[in-house]
Amino acid sequence: MQEEQLIEGLRARDKKTVEYLYEKYSRALLGVIFRIISDQDIAEEVFHDAFIKITRKIDSYEESKGRLYTWMANICRNSAIDKLRSKEISQSSKTNGIDDFVYGLESQSGTEEHVEGIGVKELMNELNEDQKFVIEYIYFKGYTHSEISEEFEIPLGTVKSRVRAALLVLKKNIDRI
Amino acid sequence: MNIQAYIESGKLELFLLGELSDREREEVLALAKQHPEIQKELDEIEEAMLAFDQASAPIPSAGLKEKIMADLEKDFAPVKELKPTVAPEETGKVVKISPWKPFAVAASIVAVIASGLAIYFASKFYETEEQFLALVQEQEVLADNLNQVKLQYEETDSRLDRLVAGDFKRVEMKGEAFDMQKDAKVDVFWDQGQQEVFIAVNKLNSLGGEYDYQLWAIGPDGPVGIGLVNPGERFTLQQMQAVAEAGAFAITIEPKGGSQSPTLEKLVVLGEVA
Repeated sequence: MQEEQLIEGLRARDKKTVEYLYEKYSRALLGVIFRIISDQDIAEEVFHDAFIKITRKIDSYEESKGRLYTWMANICRNSAIDKLRSKEISQSSKTNGIDDFVYGLESQSGTEEHVEGIGVKELMNELNEDQKFVIEYIYFKGYTHSEISEEFEIPLGTVKSRVRAALLVLKKNIDRI
Repeated sequence: MNIQAYIESGKLELFLLGELSDREREEVLALAKQHPEIQKELDEIEEAMLAFDQASAPIPSAGLKEKIMADLEKDFAPVKELKPTVAPEETGKVVKISPWKPFAVAASIVAVIASGLAIYFASKFYETEEQFLALVQEQEVLADNLNQVKLQYEETDSRLDRLVAGDFKRVEMKGEAFDMQKDAKVDVFWDQGQQEVFIAVNKLNSLGGEYDYQLWAIGPDGPVGIGLVNPGERFTLQQMQAVAEAGAFAITIEPKGGSQSPTLEKLVVLGEVA
């Protein structure tokens, strides 16, 4: 299904289209949330609400402002960050970084799919310390680049170029995961 | 501008992470439109992010999809086929948390009421305008009628003046002696000095479209046609052509427009000058 068709179907509240959206993107969107919230039950709860929000807010999505996936991923990311910062979440539910996250994936009862988690771990090993640091804070702790810059007194331009460099490494190695 | 430097600035990554200000977002979108390299880079980073996101996911719990779909069930459109446009009212059932919704609803209601009133007053206005135009037309018709009546009055008045001032003889013409119309009666008023002739129809049947009544003055040189008589104008004075000498007047029925000499078989009335 073309992205155009997909958006049109979502706007028409078409059930089949919503199912297609779920099949295609639920995994990745849940991944966005799960990186930030390690408790799977809470992550799924956040995903549940975020997915419903996506289907209901589809009329406010503008194609001219970027691709659909980016828009959805940002809704999920923001929902996860909101949850993370709310009082109702216990310390133990947060991921404290890449290691916790990878541990979380590895500790799930072993199936074929968990190999992917190890892929993430290997991918992280490709990053140098600086790159790993920004990815950890942005992707696993839900920081914005300006928050990193302020909290760790790193110039904004440096944060930007490290994010860029880290994502280039991810892009280069993406076939391996 | 240096496109490569722009790509390497890290802005595209922040764009995809949703961390740019609106102004910066606009800038990235505009540049991506102009420069395919920028669009391509954006697409590639997005693909990488999607793949990374996918790799980061745990196995979803059983029943997660079913629960989400069940909770969305009441949102779905009843018809299966896609419609190109969505009625925005359909979302009304959804419990919204955005605070602007009530204002939007209130504004819509006000707009609907205002439109309703506008339509109401517009229709009132058109109705009134129509009535006004009808009255203007009626007034014009009345003014026309009045003019006609005035003209008729002036005409009649001037005839009456001439009749009173002149030396008119009244010659009664009757149909008693003929078979055509026994009860026909027409009066001729003749001022021999001024040579003026008027007639006044008292009783004369109306004719079909192919015939006319013609008045004849019968003098020493025989009958002379002096005009057609309108049988409909009863008791009004109809002016005829001038006659100096006549011993009698008569009316015959002639083909439309009158004849040179009278058709005697169709003599209707005859009156001799006393």
